[in-house]
Amino acid sequence: MSLFLHYLSLPYLISGVWFTLAVTALGLVGGLLLGLVLAAMQLSRFWMLAAFARGYTIIFRGTPLILQMVFAYDALPQIGLKLSAIGAAGLALAANEAPFIAEMLRAGVLGIDRGQVLAGQALGMTPSLLMRRIIAPQAIRMMIPAFGNETVSALKNSSLASVISVQELTLRSTQLASSTFDFFSIFFASGLIYLVLTTGVSVIQLFVERALDLDRPATENRFARWLPWYRAPLALQPAAGEPVARDNELAPSPAAPQDVKASRADRTRRSATLAHNEVVVDVSGLYKAYSSQPVLAGVDLTIRLGEVVALLGPSGSGKSTLLRCINHLEGWDAGTVKVGGRRMGFREDGKALSPRALAEERASVGVGMVFQQFNLFGHLTALENVAGPLRWVHGLSRADADARARELLERVGLGQRANALPRHLSGGQQQRVAIARAIAPNPAVLLLDEPTSALDPELVNEVLEVIRRLAVEDGLTMIISTHQLRFADEVADRVVFLSGGSILEEGPAHEVLTRPRHPVTARFLNVMEADKPSVAPA
Amino acid sequence: MVPRSLFGNARKKIGSASRLRNVAMGVAGLIALCIAGQAQAAAPAGCAALQTKYPAWKGKTLVNAINPHTPGYEAIDPKDPDKYVGFDIDLGEAIGECLGFKVTYKAVTFAALLTTLSSGQADIVISDIYATKERAKAADFITYSKVFDGVLVAKGNPKKITGINTSLCGAAAAENTGYVEVPLIQDLMPKCKEEGKAEPTIQLYDNNANCIQAILAGRADTYINDVNTVDQAVKANPDKLEKAIAVTIPYSVGIGVPKNKPEFRDAVLAALIEVQKAGIHMDLLKKWNLDVNNFKEPDILSVD
Repeated sequence: MSLFLHYLSLPYLISGVWFTLAVTALGLVGGLLLGLVLAAMQLSRFWMLAAFARGYTIIFRGTPLILQMVFAYDALPQIGLKLSAIGAAGLALAANEAPFIAEMLRAGVLGIDRGQVLAGQALGMTPSLLMRRIIAPQAIRMMIPAFGNETVSALKNSSLASVISVQELTLRSTQLASSTFDFFSIFFASGLIYLVLTTGVSVIQLFVERALDLDRPATENRFARWLPWYRAPLALQPAAGEPVARDNELAPSPAAPQDVKASRADRTRRSATLAHNEVVVDVSGLYKAYSSQPVLAGVDLTIRLGEVVALLGPSGSGKSTLLRCINHLEGWDAGTVKVGGRRMGFREDGKALSPRALAEERASVGVGMVFQQFNLFGHLTALENVAGPLRWVHGLSRADADARARELLERVGLGQRANALPRHLSGGQQQRVAIARAIAPNPAVLLLDEPTSALDPELVNEVLEVIRRLAVEDGLTMIISTHQLRFADEVADRVVFLSGGSILEEGPAHEVLTRPRHPVTARFLNVMEADKPSVAPA
Repeated sequence: MVPRSLFGNARKKIGSASRLRNVAMGVAGLIALCIAGQAQAAAPAGCAALQTKYPAWKGKTLVNAINPHTPGYEAIDPKDPDKYVGFDIDLGEAIGECLGFKVTYKAVTFAALLTTLSSGQADIVISDIYATKERAKAADFITYSKVFDGVLVAKGNPKKITGINTSLCGAAAAENTGYVEVPLIQDLMPKCKEEGKAEPTIQLYDNNANCIQAILAGRADTYINDVNTVDQAVKANPDKLEKAIAVTIPYSVGIGVPKNKPEFRDAVLAALIEVQKAGIHMDLLKKWNLDVNNFKEPDILSVD
């Protein structure tokens, strides 16, 4: 026991720890940098880069670290690259860690809900902006446990540097054992030192996890304020301790029913006015197929300023695809889509735009989108979900963006929940935040993709009410795919009925809904009987 | 004198040493005459001449690759673990002092000694390494010591092992990776078969301590290595280990130098001769309690 304590406190062993830590640090930092490059290459849209990264991963993940160490130490000098022992060990460890870290990064990036990426794209965020503001902050949180693992494993793997004369803990232990023959006391002591080091890593990991935990009150979040994406909260925020559970908050005050259920005469007058308005969205001959199965079989559609169009049709009829083509979240095979007179996604000469240019075009043309699954950015408060893109994409100042976001949250009835995270909001509240986010940059047209389909029935109305008011009070141009027939009847100027990727029937909303001409439309409306508007005139 | 024809044969240069020795002695004598009374206290008299003849290493610091797991030859000092001590360490420093260079150390596994040298990560290897023709393909050697091996066994020698012979049949031998004893034991395998006995098995480890532990743990029956190493192990564990016998094996211990630096090889050889002449070599054997019969006049082993 006294021998054990003697070796445990021996400066010779203790100072070996620094070599262990130096090799580990070089390996981790180098591995992280190299891993970032590898992960970026693997996620790249250029297949050559991805293939190269794959090849690297196969080689360096598939060969033992001890061979890589010896190679870096003894073979590299043959080509004139003579590194110090620590340098060679660090290089080998970095090269070996990189593929593992790259896979971690890739899993983290791919683990981010695809919907959030779509939402970011729809808001006009460029790929790099998306990575920086949306993907990385969430992926890093998810990757911390894996990174803790990797650190512990790198720390232990650094002991292999003993074969290339790095004076680290293991080499010192074996040398000491050889000269003193106190085999077990020495190895118990060095084992305990390793244990202390790995425990230290675990403690740091727990601390970082806790510090990055979004659910902790902001005042305690000391660590987070050092992170690049951290933004100091503004002074004028409501007192902490907001209710967290789903509240029974009132839906926004319903607009006067008289306004909404406009008389037949009003409707006729309105459609006459609309017919003279300029065209906002012009879709012609749009064709798209997945492996020869057409999803859009030649769609022509014109939407005029201020018009509200309801897309109806059974699931799989192409409603969502059509909406996604309009802001070019999806590509297509033939036909054109023009928004505000611009051909989305193509340069003047007809060539496809890069993802970055496309994002900038989306932002400048102004196509807002609301998704069935809300797709709020999970790591941002309701306020930041709205204000963030205004700052990042549209260059508003923090004060202006926050003011606009508060005003919009107020309008959708969520002024009190501005600082809540999406996961603490009900589905209906989340969708209302999503609507506020989509209309914040004043889009020319708002696309709503089944905005109430993922909601519990009792939450549907609060969302429909918000959309209704946008149509009536703001005169916002909207294309909304929905199964809410009564709502379509009340709000839409026009109904477009899609089936099998084609428009079967379109016309004034009330007319199509009450007197469908096409038998498929009629059958569909019958199935939806419960929600069918009455034939009787309003 | 060695016949001239041997020098023409580039394949083997054993013997060239004696001529060099004569030259060195002549030069030393000459200098001694010229600067009588001026000889340095520490370095032998002839060294000043060598430093003039081989100025390239004067004032340099050279890296000595060692496998510091052989107490008596090279191991860390238990009292001051930041230092390496042993016969080889002292000998290397005496040679360095003679040629005017300082020595630092790089600790590697035994099997990596020559790789480290040929990759340029080290300048010289003085680490109780036996000069064999196989190894001489990777480095030139200046031999300086005869080899006596000891047969380390558990107390009482339960397997009745009597040397590197058929008494090893069926036994498990612990050896270091890359040690010359490994092929010697492998050569016994067909003999054991002829006698209808089981073949010896070899367990490879990467340092002395692990080999000794293999016997202490009952995994191996014997560990055959340099007799002094074996004696040290017995001294550390007198109630568990013993030396069955000492045997001579047909090798010499050598200083390894890069093949592509013949001038350095010749300089080390000349310096070693000076060190021996001054009686330092013999003093060091006594200082480290090594058998003075180990002493050997140097030769060069070099193959193409």
